[in-house]
Amino acid sequence: MKNYKVILPVLGLLIILLSNLALAITAEEIINRRDDNEYIVSARVESEMVIINGGRKMVKTMISLTDGRDGLTEFTNPRDRGTKFLKRGDDLWMFFPDAEDVVKISGHMLNQGMMGSDFSYQDIMESDKLTDLYNFEVIGEEEFAGRPCYLLEGIAKEGAEVSYYRRKIWIDKERFIGLKMELYAQSGRLLKVSRAEKVEKIEGRWLPTESVMENKLRRNTRTEFKIISIEFNPEIPGGTFTLQNLQ
Amino acid sequence: MFIIKLALRNLFRHKKRTIITAIVISLAIFIYLLSDSLMLGIEELSYANIINLESGHLQVVNPDYWEERQEAPLENLIPLSEDLKKKIREIEGFNAMAGQLRFSASLNNGIDEIPIMGLGINPEETERVLTIDEYFVEGSMLTPGKYEAVLGKSLADLMDLKVGDYLTLIVRTKENTFNTIDAVITGLLKTPHPDINDNTVFVPLDIARQALNLEEEVSQIVIRLNRDKEEAREIAAELSRDLTEGGFNLKAYPWQESAETLTAMMQMQDIENFVILGIILVIAAVGIINTTILSAIERMEEIGMMKALGLKEGEIIRVFMIEATGIGIIGGLIGCFFGGIGVTILNQIGLSMNTFGGQDTTYGLPILERIYGGWNPGAFIFVFVFGVVVALLSSILPARWAARKDPVKAIYHR
Repeated sequence: MKNYKVILPVLGLLIILLSNLALAITAEEIINRRDDNEYIVSARVESEMVIINGGRKMVKTMISLTDGRDGLTEFTNPRDRGTKFLKRGDDLWMFFPDAEDVVKISGHMLNQGMMGSDFSYQDIMESDKLTDLYNFEVIGEEEFAGRPCYLLEGIAKEGAEVSYYRRKIWIDKERFIGLKMELYAQSGRLLKVSRAEKVEKIEGRWLPTESVMENKLRRNTRTEFKIISIEFNPEIPGGTFTLQNLQ
Repeated sequence: MFIIKLALRNLFRHKKRTIITAIVISLAIFIYLLSDSLMLGIEELSYANIINLESGHLQVVNPDYWEERQEAPLENLIPLSEDLKKKIREIEGFNAMAGQLRFSASLNNGIDEIPIMGLGINPEETERVLTIDEYFVEGSMLTPGKYEAVLGKSLADLMDLKVGDYLTLIVRTKENTFNTIDAVITGLLKTPHPDINDNTVFVPLDIARQALNLEEEVSQIVIRLNRDKEEAREIAAELSRDLTEGGFNLKAYPWQESAETLTAMMQMQDIENFVILGIILVIAAVGIINTTILSAIERMEEIGMMKALGLKEGEIIRVFMIEATGIGIIGGLIGCFFGGIGVTILNQIGLSMNTFGGQDTTYGLPILERIYGGWNPGAFIFVFVFGVVVALLSSILPARWAARKDPVKAIYHR
């Protein structure tokens, strides 16, 4: 009889603890559910990029095809028409129609902003799953732009080749999409902030269709990125992602 | 002897013509001497700048790194061990050494960003090998362990930075992760080496290592010798051998290899110099031929007379050849004389690099100061002999033409 008195509270405590665990969603689950929404395996995307630098404003439009780790983007606005980027795995090439020349972008060139935007080449190259590169933890819950969010922090895994040592991501609690992301250097300095401005449901999945990227090391610059149309799993002819096709 | 006397007398019969022809030759010699002296000066100065500000006399580097050194990768670095330092200290003519860590970075001033080359240095060691500390125009050297930076004045002006301002270097660690170095500017440099003025930011070695996630590693060890710079190649070969024997995968590169592109450029310049000399001497040769033909026509009766008196064809040719050689010698002497004056002026007063173009035009040369011409006695001898030989050779054909005339026809000038 004596034993029951001890066991009961212990049991009760255990039940409370276990149920808590079951209810609380882990950081990994949150990221995975977000990736289900945002991680595009294969698509044809028409998009627009508005680069604002001080008083100057540049608008670039492009059509991109992606399939897994490969991608091809062609610019369609008059000034850059014909400029193409080809990504194959971890390599990136650029084709300039004026010079009729293919250039491989590598080394510290990858740190530069793509076409003068606040997205570096490295940023657009990221195609690995974030959970493979970072240890994520839920560090709180916060409201962002009127939506309740999970606030996650990811620190780069030991030895992982990542651009940003630490990221903070605000993920919508209901729709599971990233609404805001802060990217930090190893020194702790905030480098970039991206925000989703508009979120739409396309073919059953939530997607940020308008977002803004700001380079926090430079004043008065930001890049707006808008998805004009998107088609999932399009038919991509063989040989699309080849250097021959780039020229 | 008679022939020489005859030739000399002929030489001074038409003083004006002789002088004018000689002046063409002397002009070629003069221009050659000046440009040779200038090239020599540029060469010496460029090499001095590379040795004093960039590479020292020797650089110890991993051979795989050397291949890709333009990219400044964070691979194939040198773990700095006491053992290695001891090996280097033991070489002949050793004076001082300094480990440096080169890395590519973006310099950010809060508004703009430009790619630059970062260089992690230990100021005390570096000052013993390189002469950077002599070129501060503002402020002073950085302190190890502190977030401080030194950069070229022209780079600072471009980025609107002053002493006391903070700059941000955005770098990539060994794992390719972004990191930043925020440092206060302690000094601005104006060196005679444009690469350092326009493209380099110095930070303390330990700060650079920390930001790049590196241990006791450097990308290169620069070494100063207390020997003549021409001995560097030999000592480098010796050190390379010692290092390989000691089990290090490292090689010593003399300054000549750091200055590889420059050496190639200088060789091109030498060729260019010869082309210029060649063109002017062709003009001089035409002058000589012209002079020889003219005097032959003038002296047609004389030639006939000499032949009739028993002078052989070969002897007549020799008269004209000696005459032409005389013009060559006169031209050579005038050219060398004025060339000597010109070189002395270049050597003493020098020439500002700006004379060749607008402000700060460098033509890719590591020079940003006055160029002083160098003395090269060999060039004087060479160009003098060359001028005389050209004069001599160009007179042969017209002399033969004149000497072959039939004496009777020549006397009647037909």
